[in-house]
Amino acid sequence: MNVTWLLAWRNLWRHSRRTWLTVAAMVFCNVLLVFLISLQLGSYTMMIDNTLGTFSGHIQVQHVGYLDQQKMRQTVPAAAELAQTLREQQGVSAASARGIAFALASSEERSFGIQIVGVEPAYEPEVSTFPGLVKQGRFLAPDAGVDSDEIVIGSILADNLKVGLGDELTFLGSGRDGSFAAAVATVVGVIDTGFDEVDRSIAEVPLAWFQQVFTMGNQGHSVVLRVDDFDAVPQQVAVIQQQVADRAELVVLDWDALQPGLRQAITSDMASAWFMYGVLIILVAFSVLNTQLMSVLERTREFGVMLSLGMGPGKLARLVGLETLMMSTIGLAFGVLLGGLLVWYLSFAGFYFPGMEEMGKRFNLPERMYPEFSLLAILWGPTTVFLFALLAALYPALRLFRLQPVPAMRAA
Amino acid sequence: MSAITCTELCKTFQQGDEIITGLNKVSLEITKGEFLCLSGPSGSGKTTLLNALGGLDTPDSGEIQVGEYRLDKLSKGELADMRLHNIGFVFQAYNLVPVLSARENVEFVMQVQGVSAAQRRQRSDAVLAEVGLAGMETRLPAELSGGQQQRVAVARAIVSKPELVLADEPTANLDSKSAAQLMDLFVELNVERGITFVIATHDSRVMGYARRLIHMQDGVVVSDEQQEPHAMDV
Amino acid sequence: MGGAMSTVMVLAWRNLWRNYRRTLIMLAAITVGIWAMIFMAAMMRGMTDQIVENTLNTLPGEVQLHHPEYRRDPSVVNRMPAPSAALREALAAPPAVAWAARVRVPAVVASERDSRGVILLGIDPQKEAALGSLPEEVIEGRFLADIDDRGVVLGASLARRLETGLGKRVVLMSQDPDNNVADRGARVVGIYKARLQGTEDVFVYSGLAVTQAMLGIGSDVSEIAATADDYRLMGDWYQPIAAAAGPGFEVLPWPQLDSFLDSMLRVQDGFSLVFMVVIFLALSFGLVNTLVMAVFERIREIGLMQALGMRPGLILAQVLVESIYLLCLGLLLGNVSAWLTIKPLESGIDISAVAQGVEKMAMGTTLYPALVVQDMVMSTVVVLGLGLLASLLPAWRAASLDPIRALSRH
Repeated sequence: MNVTWLLAWRNLWRHSRRTWLTVAAMVFCNVLLVFLISLQLGSYTMMIDNTLGTFSGHIQVQHVGYLDQQKMRQTVPAAAELAQTLREQQGVSAASARGIAFALASSEERSFGIQIVGVEPAYEPEVSTFPGLVKQGRFLAPDAGVDSDEIVIGSILADNLKVGLGDELTFLGSGRDGSFAAAVATVVGVIDTGFDEVDRSIAEVPLAWFQQVFTMGNQGHSVVLRVDDFDAVPQQVAVIQQQVADRAELVVLDWDALQPGLRQAITSDMASAWFMYGVLIILVAFSVLNTQLMSVLERTREFGVMLSLGMGPGKLARLVGLETLMMSTIGLAFGVLLGGLLVWYLSFAGFYFPGMEEMGKRFNLPERMYPEFSLLAILWGPTTVFLFALLAALYPALRLFRLQPVPAMRAA
Repeated sequence: MSAITCTELCKTFQQGDEIITGLNKVSLEITKGEFLCLSGPSGSGKTTLLNALGGLDTPDSGEIQVGEYRLDKLSKGELADMRLHNIGFVFQAYNLVPVLSARENVEFVMQVQGVSAAQRRQRSDAVLAEVGLAGMETRLPAELSGGQQQRVAVARAIVSKPELVLADEPTANLDSKSAAQLMDLFVELNVERGITFVIATHDSRVMGYARRLIHMQDGVVVSDEQQEPHAMDV
Repeated sequence: MGGAMSTVMVLAWRNLWRNYRRTLIMLAAITVGIWAMIFMAAMMRGMTDQIVENTLNTLPGEVQLHHPEYRRDPSVVNRMPAPSAALREALAAPPAVAWAARVRVPAVVASERDSRGVILLGIDPQKEAALGSLPEEVIEGRFLADIDDRGVVLGASLARRLETGLGKRVVLMSQDPDNNVADRGARVVGIYKARLQGTEDVFVYSGLAVTQAMLGIGSDVSEIAATADDYRLMGDWYQPIAAAAGPGFEVLPWPQLDSFLDSMLRVQDGFSLVFMVVIFLALSFGLVNTLVMAVFERIREIGLMQALGMRPGLILAQVLVESIYLLCLGLLLGNVSAWLTIKPLESGIDISAVAQGVEKMAMGTTLYPALVVQDMVMSTVVVLGLGLLASLLPAWRAASLDPIRALSRH
């Protein structure tokens, strides 16, 4: 080993307790960062999956302006055919057409204004989790067509309307052309998602029947798509945009446009997380600064001797830098190791804290969290701590350039 | 009446693999008002004996009686109280608390004893004047010379009017003039106040001041004789 | 022992500044840590305050009376008679400052272009104003004049969706108690803007008497709400109201009305504490390090003091007091800087950049951090309590030094 390295290594252990305490601060911070960042990324992945998977999908094709105004007339012509074309496209894992209308739904006892969604019964389960959450009865028959007056509704809506399986619901609303729309449908299934808001409002009917009742012709309001690779959404959007380029009234929207809150929720959550990380890193940097400054100050006399022996201040500064490097490397290694093990374990076992259940329900998060085991999540925090530790050693190292050999040697 | 009686004191230390004999069956009697020097090469046991007499260290076996106290029977806390009230110490260096001024260093012991502020002030200034440091009460140790620092230490040692002062190499870091002044001060205090002095030293200039000279080697008293004191030549 | 303790305090103070660089670095670290603790707590509290207040504003009144079935099934069937004299008296008793009775039923509103499912509120404008439950801003037209006002007031977003506007007619449809369609045409007399777009889409305001007539329910109402103007002030003030209402009513304070809000507040307090402890732990390594080094540098001195007769307890106290000084200074600076940074922000931070995301959490586009004494006290307790605990180790080591060895150290 190089003599300078050896010297730095030995110096590091002159005050082994101090070195260990500083390393411990780094390890603590590193493990915490690894854990929190992994948890954070894991929860974002789940948030995105859960939010988009329930209903909105990754991409939607809609009429221009429909997203904001949701007007009955802003339709996608030949929606089912478009869905069929897109479904066969490479990279698209599922596609389904929908139509949406508002109507007053009445049972024998009750009336509620609700949103009725016309879906393709065969394909809807591939773009939305709701069909899979039918707790009573069944979802719409896959071949349900114009003549099928089936409907599935949310469990709270069913309670509120006081209807059960086999009961009839009457709809009053207006069709696409503004005409009066009225129909009767029979409840074949009750959906229970666990989310009150959804269970209170969801009502799905076959698209063909919907189109007839609301005088839609072959039109729908959106084609919902799921892609194979979530990260490839922007490319897919471009491809589909190309395909529908000849129909100026159509627009292709990615999940960010469909659920603008999602990215922002992530951003605002990240902001507060970064705040905490920043504070932790600064505190560790202070710890390193303190240790290295002390170690330089108490060695003033020694450094004076070295200076008078002809060792340049640059060399001494490098020595101090080297010591910090070694110390930080130990902190990095232990931090990554322990943090990695913890996250690796939790990525299987999951992680839970009290009160999460209700929070999860509200924010569409699962009740157990599984941190994401990824190299980025594990290395990011410790590397930043490492860099800040080196940065913190800068001041003590630079002080050495001000050192004069003779006064330094006389220093107590 | 004897101020100090020790009987068959034994003390050993472990240093690495070796067992070092600090004291080997040392028996000694010191009467009140004596001015005694413990001499011998380093490692002879003189510091160990001094520490044992001051209750800083407990012997492995043997008895020590200092005034009314059986030191070998006291707990750590009781030993601390005994030192606080009955014994004055002067060490070789680092004798003073660096963040306290000369006056505060002297007051320090009284403050721990619980003496009132006014009394502390009066007594510390008086004793500082007595050791020749009037006007330097507010200086920090770093602003005093080595001799002056040692005199502050003496002032602190005698301020609570102990009957016994123990000094371990008090002149080690002093030039001859300062050393002579310090020893003159010791003698003066010994004569005027009747304080018993036990000084461990290997400085031959210091030994000259002693009326009784005990020579130690390898933890054993090899000679113990009275002598006619003579001040050093400066 | 008084004298001894004052010596210890003087010594500890001067010792603190012997290595002023180290002390200043540590002080900076503690200050940053405490500032962060309080700042984070204030932000979170601001956020939850807002979520709570917004949620309570969409169903205003911290105490609400309903038909026992209403909350499960908010239908016109589950209504109750207008408050009796005894109940009115109970509702007006302090700390309650305002109350209002309203009809609140699901309905459909249709323009000539489109229709939407909404919640129809039949209200008394004067009483709701006192309750603070009216829309923040009427951007077009006017609000309802009284309970007999035949107009309706829609949210701006809903009006856009319905392609309707001020002065146009809409049809309100709901059901009467016998499940017949109850409807009436009404002119849009006002358009309001709310902090949350969701509110604008859902709530349609109509005069109380007009709505009661439309539904054919006489003077019955769906909901009676009362407020004391401070959601933290829950206590038991709903109980006399419950007593006055008698059986047949469900009277609930907000923690039960929205158990989510309640649990969120508790989670937030817990999270603040966890955050503070984590920050403290990151600090504690530096603190222990500083004290260990301080003791290490002063081994001789400590030996001397022990030799002179200072009992180990006082040595221990000396290190602890030094630590307390450091912590207290840090606490002072941290609290002051937190105060200085948060107070100017209490008028609101614009977070419209992430507005739709936070809207998911029922917040507006402005965040109002709330500096609460409780959080400052909590950080102080955490830092001082755990700080002293962490200092015990170096202090105990100092106290148990062997004076002879300590003195012979070079």
